[in-house]
Amino acid sequence: MNKKVLTFLALAALVTVPVFAYVNDALSFAHEAADPYVKKGFSVREDAWGGDLGVEDQQAMTAQLFKGNEYWFALGTEVKGAVVTIHIYDAQGKLAESESWQKGRFAGARVVPSKTGTYYAIVTVEKSPQERTGWAVVYAYK
Amino acid sequence: MTKHIPILAATLAISSAAFARAENPPPSIDLSRFPAAEVKNVVVPVPSEVFAVLDKLGTPNWRGQLRKSLGKNTGNRAQVALLLGTVIAEGFIAVEAEDSERVKEIGREVLALAEAINVRKAVIARSKSITDLAEARRWREVRTEFDGALNDVRSAMQELGDDNLAQLVSLGGWTRGTEVLTAIVGDSFTSDGAELLHQPELLSYFSETLSRMKSTRLGKDELVVRMRKMLDSIKPLIGKEDGTRISASNVKRINQLTGDTVSAITSEPGVAR
Repeated sequence: MNKKVLTFLALAALVTVPVFAYVNDALSFAHEAADPYVKKGFSVREDAWGGDLGVEDQQAMTAQLFKGNEYWFALGTEVKGAVVTIHIYDAQGKLAESESWQKGRFAGARVVPSKTGTYYAIVTVEKSPQERTGWAVVYAYK
Repeated sequence: MTKHIPILAATLAISSAAFARAENPPPSIDLSRFPAAEVKNVVVPVPSEVFAVLDKLGTPNWRGQLRKSLGKNTGNRAQVALLLGTVIAEGFIAVEAEDSERVKEIGREVLALAEAINVRKAVIARSKSITDLAEARRWREVRTEFDGALNDVRSAMQELGDDNLAQLVSLGGWTRGTEVLTAIVGDSFTSDGAELLHQPELLSYFSETLSRMKSTRLGKDELVVRMRKMLDSIKPLIGKEDGTRISASNVKRINQLTGDTVSAITSEPGVAR
């Protein structure tokens, strides 16, 4: 890993972005996106991550994932007409998801980690009728 | 800023251009081009995630991993927060061992420790639920409740403006969890099992968190200083690059480091197992 990446990772640890109140609505949509996986035996984590982004802006979430588990990341926004996406990359920046989907204000990506380690969930607001779009992510595992 | 990850999209509303991008997310991205402000904290895994993998590795002697004592509350806030984390982690081990009496005892202890740091209200319902579900031997749901208890305690502390203390709860849980993980993996070593310890960013995250506390009273606490040293000692043992093979001797060393630290947290050196 080069120095630039290490610097960015070190700085990343300084950033604390809790789920703000204004993404509470987005959170319910994220849970809705995760619902089908609960029926398939996945456990959804009770905590969540969120924020707001401008159109075409992105946010990365750093996650420690374990080989042997299977994960679904589910993304939702409260903004009607917005298009949001989520994709999962490994520590080298390689696409790591085995499948993904997008449907308007919902999106999801599935990862079956080939290695235990650090992964990045990249959230993008592709389009939105609003200047800022609240979003929330939950993830499920089994 | 890194613009722009092509996406997978499927709504009729979006343009065909967007569709083309959606069907072809880039096979790789340059993570170093992401400004720090656009990267969130490391998501700390809940203990259930690790135990879900361990379930698939075989049937370890979980009962043999249970500590005889849950530890003593010394009244020191840092110690209580770390102890609370270790006790919640102990709950997961008791669930694996399917020891309902122990699970109920742990549920009560979680409540007592939460009270000591003013977050009792946040876990009353969880504690009752843990007891009821353990009685009914609904183990998977007990696990979920322990995950939830950890989350509730941390959230309550953050609401009280005690984020540092909340981090210590997570770290206490991680330390006890890692002690057990290394014990299980060490008992019948496989590289797949050892790979579960490859958590470099998580360790960096915990280290950074403790470093930021350095100038505070909490950061100067003897136990917090000890935690920082423990993390510094573990880092080189787990490797930085993905796919790093972690040796049996390194697993054993991590077990010693975490075990000694848990004994210091519980204030009962020498009584472990």
